Amino acid sequence: MSNISENNLETTTNKEQSSRRDFFKRTAAYSVSAIAAANLLAPVKLSADDANIINHVEWGTTLGDELNKYPYGIPSAYEHNVVRRTSSLLSSAGDMHAAVSMTPLHELEGIITPNGLHFTRTHNGVAHIDPNKYRLMIHGLVEKPIVLTLEQLKKYPAESRLLFLECPANGAAEWKGPQFNSLQFVKGMMSNAEWTGVRLKTILDEIGLKPTAKWMLAEGSDGSEMSRTVPVEKVLDDAMIVWAQNGEAIRPEQGYPVRLMLPGWEANLCVKWLKRLEFGAEPWYCKEETSKYTALMASGKAIQHYYPLEVNSIITTPCPEKPWSDLKKGDMVEVEGIAWSGHGTITGVDISLDGGNNYVEAKLKGLVLPKSWTRFSYMYKYEGKPLLIQSRAMDDAGFVQPSVTQEKAIMGLEGVYHRNSICTWEVRQDGSVHNVQVRTDNCPK
Amino acid sequence: MIKLNNKLIAIAASALLATTMFAAEGTTKPLPANVYKATKNALDGGVTYKRENGAYTAYRVNDQSTKGVNFGRAPTANELKAWDADIMPDGTGLPVGSGTADDGETLYDKDCAVCHGEFGAGGKGYPTLTGGSLESLKNQRDCPGKEAPNRTIGSYWPKASTLIWYIRDAMPYAHPKSYSPDQMYAMTAYLLREGGVQIDGKDIEELNQDNFKKIVMPNEKGFYPNIDGPKGVENVRAFYKNPKNFGAVGTRCMSNCGKESVMKIGNEITAVVPAYSTVRDLPKEEAKGAVSEAQKLYEKSCAVCHKTDAMGAPAVGDKGAWEKAMGKGMDKVNHNAINGVGGMPPKGGAMDLSDAQVKDIVKFMVESSK
Ligand code: HEC
Ligand code: HEC
Repeated sequence: MSNISENNLETTTNKEQSSRRDFFKRTAAYSVSAIAAANLLAPVKLSADDANIINHVEWGTTLGDELNKYPYGIPSAYEHNVVRRTSSLLSSAGDMHAAVSMTPLHELEGIITPNGLHFTRTHNGVAHIDPNKYRLMIHGLVEKPIVLTLEQLKKYPAESRLLFLECPANGAAEWKGPQFNSLQFVKGMMSNAEWTGVRLKTILDEIGLKPTAKWMLAEGSDGSEMSRTVPVEKVLDDAMIVWAQNGEAIRPEQGYPVRLMLPGWEANLCVKWLKRLEFGAEPWYCKEETSKYTALMASGKAIQHYYPLEVNSIITTPCPEKPWSDLKKGDMVEVEGIAWSGHGTITGVDISLDGGNNYVEAKLKGLVLPKSWTRFSYMYKYEGKPLLIQSRAMDDAGFVQPSVTQEKAIMGLEGVYHRNSICTWEVRQDGSVHNVQVRTDNCPK
Repeated sequence: MIKLNNKLIAIAASALLATTMFAAEGTTKPLPANVYKATKNALDGGVTYKRENGAYTAYRVNDQSTKGVNFGRAPTANELKAWDADIMPDGTGLPVGSGTADDGETLYDKDCAVCHGEFGAGGKGYPTLTGGSLESLKNQRDCPGKEAPNRTIGSYWPKASTLIWYIRDAMPYAHPKSYSPDQMYAMTAYLLREGGVQIDGKDIEELNQDNFKKIVMPNEKGFYPNIDGPKGVENVRAFYKNPKNFGAVGTRCMSNCGKESVMKIGNEITAVVPAYSTVRDLPKEEAKGAVSEAQKLYEKSCAVCHKTDAMGAPAVGDKGAWEKAMGKGMDKVNHNAINGVGGMPPKGGAMDLSDAQVKDIVKFMVESSK
């Protein structure tokens, strides 16, 4: 990582466009301070005529591509930095078969995550399933066990839902304090998409669930045969078997061709590459509900079957990647963010500018749907002063997002999963944004 | 990685008091009750919504009958046998077979030690399988220098069935589902013995479908709510009824809620790929060219160990490491790749590869490391 001093930035700002390009070239890898620099250089700051307006532009004086150049369209080449990112520290020895990639939340608009940017966690690599060979078996405590091909499954009546998927380890690196200076790594283990498939209840009504069935095993067909136990009560409420993501086939990384969808619950429970559903009277004890995805408390005992992702929120502008370095005193600017709850629907979000001492109400905007990302907004007159900016969400189950201190007083520091406490961005005098935590720690002697 | 700052011991008590005092009184408009027909009765402590009059919250839903929608067919007995292969805590699904811990050790050294370390002791960046303790589960790293809880099979896992099931389905990592029942028992026996798990107070020497059911894991009682038996689901419901159980203790205070300390990043983790950037420019032209067959095979069978040097394998792209290996001459290096050497299993464990294919892959690896 190159470290660029503030002095360097000043001189670069005063030079012309050509030297700005050189500056970009010289800086192969951008540190967060370099990102801030890029924003400082916006042409808006120059008083001279803008060559982009005065002269004809390249793309206006040449013939464009043939429209069928990309039968499946791709983003503008200029967007190449809008990608999922990984860290070897969030994997075994940098092994990217069992690891996690993070959604670039700082680059997303609205509440839909494009399929190529959906966060991904795999336990034995991304499986590539031949849809012609795909089979789904539903059996156990049912009257009429069945096997379905993909085509048969897709004949069931479809419903679509906007739903978030979140890894319960989202933010797990930060129980003991902030470690990453980026929105992407602080909260990027989640995404939101429109999922289409059939309600599991629709199928079960036909094949008949026996009254003794209390639990369902959902098993994947990837190398690790990733599986989880789900209570039947959830299955009958809002569980779905889905085959489409934002209008097209589910991506391999998200479980092509079919995955389980348990709205609001741990993404790990929404088993990918779904192969088998078995109904039983007793739970199964899979690796991912014993060794992992259990939350160890200070008592030495651990919570198991820890399903719902609790009410949560994060401010997406400003953030470390998208700072306020180009604002001047008096500018009116929108503070924006995302709120979500696996327990229900977001009812409101409060914003604090002083690290949680005082709050004001933000406005919700766009679609407000259960177990889906909900956007919030707050108009703010920038004063050019340091801020500690926070958001705190509430849901219709009556839950309010806890502070770091409140959450850890109960959950301790070693539980790994389900961290939903309030996040804080420190906006410094220069408009740069930094990940900090407002918390009270006590080191018992 | 984070160092706790001792100066952070702040106004804790008073701040917390203030928070609870100002709690509640929601001033935001509640959701319209005719749209969101919510009842707080979900198993997980949340709400459920009614599907009524063609609506489910803000969604319209098709409320025509779906009765008679019926696709697929019944699975055959053999299909059920092939797929209904999970292993449950009561021993349901255990294969018939047996294996000794000593045989498991030999197998472990060959197939697993390269990632999980000798005796399962870790140290290679992959999960540690042995060596934890029940006492360590109470560890909290709330002060500098404190040790982490050590969650391993013997110290943490509640059921032995999980282990043999996982070994059967998911391991060896690069060739899942390749073990015979005897090998599964041998490997399970070995890992349990190394993890200090006993049967009737004695070290495990041999495991089979009968004595397996006698294993009681040391931390079996370490998990809650209790999900077993006819009350299982009700225990789960009771657990979620109390928000204190799972940290759902946030309160809505609007003013003078209390000030707390600010903790900044101690050692920032910057090892991210690709490096952070929000610049919008044209990407550097990358050397294009179709992915060769050898590269595909490499990705499938060799990359797992050769992508980095974490396991002692010469990493592809590491010029020095490959120059050193090539010092022996191409023939010897090919021979080693085919027959194995040190931590390198014969053909990287992919026994379905022909010798010629392995040689092609080695050529690709060498050329990619110049
Ligand atoms: C190439 C490296 C590699 C090899 C070789 C390997 N494993 Fe693993 N093992 C892993 C990874 C990676 C994980 C974590 C998977 C995940 O994220 O779900 C794992 C997880 C495990 C776990 C679960 C650990 C826990 O605490 O949850 C067990 C048990 C295990 N392996 C046993 C074995 C056995 C037995 C073998 C040999 C037959 C073996 N492994 C060979 C990489 C390897
Ligand atoms: C389970 C991990 C693992 C896998 C899978 C693996 N290797 Fe290796 N490989 C190693 C290790 C460890 C070494 C270093 C051995 C030593 O020098 O002790 C090595 C060394 C080598 C060498 C250098 C041999 C020498 O003479 O120095 C070659 C060539 C090689 N591997 C090729 C392959 C090919 C080809 C594949 C896939 C077909 C493969 N490896 C898969 C672990 C692995």
